[in-house]
Amino acid sequence: MTSKLRLGILGCGAITRVAHLPAALSHPEVELVAMVDRDRERAQSLAQSRSIRCHISSTTEFDAWELDAVINALPNSLHAATTLQALEHGVHVLCEKPLATTSSDAEACAAMADKCDRILAVGMSRRFVGSHKLMHLLLQESALGSSLGYSCSYGGEFDWKSASGFYFSKSLAGGGVLIDFGVHLLDSLVDWFGPVTRLEYQDDDWGSGVEANAILEVRHSGRYGAVEGKLQLSRTFPLKNLLLVSGTDAEAEISLADLDCVNVHRTIAGEPVKQTMRLEDYPDTSSFCKQLDNFVQSIRGNEKPVVDGWQAAEILRVIENAYANAHRIPEPWSEVGSEIPIAATEVPA
Amino acid sequence: MNWLESPILVTGATGFIGGRICERLVMAGAKQARAMVHRPHRAARIARLPIELCPGDLLDSDSLRLAVGDAATVIHCGLGSARGIVRGTRNLLSVCEEARVRRFVHISTAAVYGLTPPTGSETEDYPVRFTGDGYCDNKARAEQEVLQYGRRGLRIVILRPSIVYGPYSSWSTRLIEDLRQRRVALIDGGKGACNTTYVDNLVDAVFASIENDSAIGKTFFITDGEPITWGDFILRHAAMFEREVELPRVEKQKLVEIYKKRPGLLVGSLKALPRILRSRELRQLLLQIPVAERLLTSLWGRMQSLSESRKRRIRARIGIQSHSSGSSPEGVIPDEVTFATQTGTVFFSIERARKILGYSPRISFVQGTDLVEKWLRFANYI
Repeated sequence: MTSKLRLGILGCGAITRVAHLPAALSHPEVELVAMVDRDRERAQSLAQSRSIRCHISSTTEFDAWELDAVINALPNSLHAATTLQALEHGVHVLCEKPLATTSSDAEACAAMADKCDRILAVGMSRRFVGSHKLMHLLLQESALGSSLGYSCSYGGEFDWKSASGFYFSKSLAGGGVLIDFGVHLLDSLVDWFGPVTRLEYQDDDWGSGVEANAILEVRHSGRYGAVEGKLQLSRTFPLKNLLLVSGTDAEAEISLADLDCVNVHRTIAGEPVKQTMRLEDYPDTSSFCKQLDNFVQSIRGNEKPVVDGWQAAEILRVIENAYANAHRIPEPWSEVGSEIPIAATEVPA
Repeated sequence: MNWLESPILVTGATGFIGGRICERLVMAGAKQARAMVHRPHRAARIARLPIELCPGDLLDSDSLRLAVGDAATVIHCGLGSARGIVRGTRNLLSVCEEARVRRFVHISTAAVYGLTPPTGSETEDYPVRFTGDGYCDNKARAEQEVLQYGRRGLRIVILRPSIVYGPYSSWSTRLIEDLRQRRVALIDGGKGACNTTYVDNLVDAVFASIENDSAIGKTFFITDGEPITWGDFILRHAAMFEREVELPRVEKQKLVEIYKKRPGLLVGSLKALPRILRSRELRQLLLQIPVAERLLTSLWGRMQSLSESRKRRIRARIGIQSHSSGSSPEGVIPDEVTFATQTGTVFFSIERARKILGYSPRISFVQGTDLVEKWLRFANYI
């Protein structure tokens, strides 16, 4: 029997508490040997809440703890440096999204993984929901017809209780709703429809802040030809939380309320019909459990990471391009006859 | 020196009024504006702005000392829990006094007279009264604290807006949702006094309170200065829908009779319990108790680790997706708070604000609701 992987979790904030830790504890081939957080008490408290006995520390001892792999769930700005450090120590890394706050840092991580012959998987957990695979199947079977396009709106009042609050610091998070949640959607869309070849981007950053709303108009060129779509993202307003992919024959709908199914709307003999599709025999585990399993099996040589560093860097290039060419979302409600100034000053984090 | 050049602290900056004050400070060119943030996850709106976000808790004086720092002006919109309204305001006043803050603008409310203000409260000199409503009574007590510090030399100004509306306001978003769900009725034809205050008019008054030394120590009603009724407010929102919205009418006297017939204390409490146990408000309160916080966080974490189908089944079982409707066999019956809020007859006078602050509402009700409609459409509420 193969020995268990000695895993460390770096960063004991909200995503570790609700997703990575339960996944790690439930995986039969993983032994959790260390939990690290700048705030040692936070790590200690989380470990105690789940009766975990392991190394608890504010610094990582890759060698002393004989770590095989780490989950990097630190604030965004620390992802790249910590990932590089782990890879240099010969440790495999599953890094939370985004892999880095710049594409060049992400490429450096991907190159380091290649050089050190270690696995670098990036936590795009949406790739592991049932609807992601179902959409691939529908597209491969041309079930929606031709002339594909999509519209997508995801948003709600931001309620993610980040332990460090880094989400609202540009220097720590790298941006706002686009790099935080948009990175998932862009990753899925690029996986389905191919590389982004044109992008129009608007957001509501008033200057040196982080955007709460973003609107993207995107064109892809890939195996299904040119596909155009529109995304709206929000941290302040409840949006429809739907992704609609339409073609000449049918429309496929993925709802945030149930990411394991796709509803297909089509017309048969003049009657509108809705068909709900689910993958049969799809494991009844969370997407984070499936993601960790893919990471473990990649280390074992049985699979490849669903998202590696190079793929993550490609999405970050799209995001960088968007930020560099951003236009302001008009806010005509802001005040009668008044223009909102765009401040040029940097504000300390 | 222009007050916009000096450090300014806004408490309650993640709320609707505080958020707009932060935006307007940026628009006005404030150089050293700071937004005090108690719950960081609520900061999405103000995190867009080029202002400093600083952590702070009204119930933690040490954090307040750091947040106030060298601020020359403090604009206090923060609330916290019902108990925290008074204690938090007192803590902040004490720190501001120590720090020799030059101006303390307290955002109070016309609800210091209760949900249904009595005749005579048209002008500010009418004494505040305690009606048993937690929010109203605590805001009244907080005002008294502010006045006490004012008498000790802190340069305070108290503003009492009423129904503050504008983009991001829950008055509008809730009303739109209630209209969509057909949960709105016009009480007595909607003739109750609404006393609207468009949020930018309030911010104008805040700025005028800072600029004008003759405001120090005084209390001001701030409204749009128009005799807007609840009928006007509700009908304007109803008109935002493409389809005509049915608005049943209900007589005040009939409601009084219905409330009298409602189940007794014990039965009513038992019936309300499941809804309260599922409510977000209760969860927020429980999260302040360390043991409950740990338990809820652990449960939530376990919930998140489940598959989508399991989560859906659990949600359905505990009824999270169901909506409580105000409809009954007797038609749409507004709750008692809505009844009390919408049956007032007093229109507050803004004469004192006009004379002393030079306040003149720039945004009319027509303009204000047009702006709200633009925002509601952008934000996909309609």
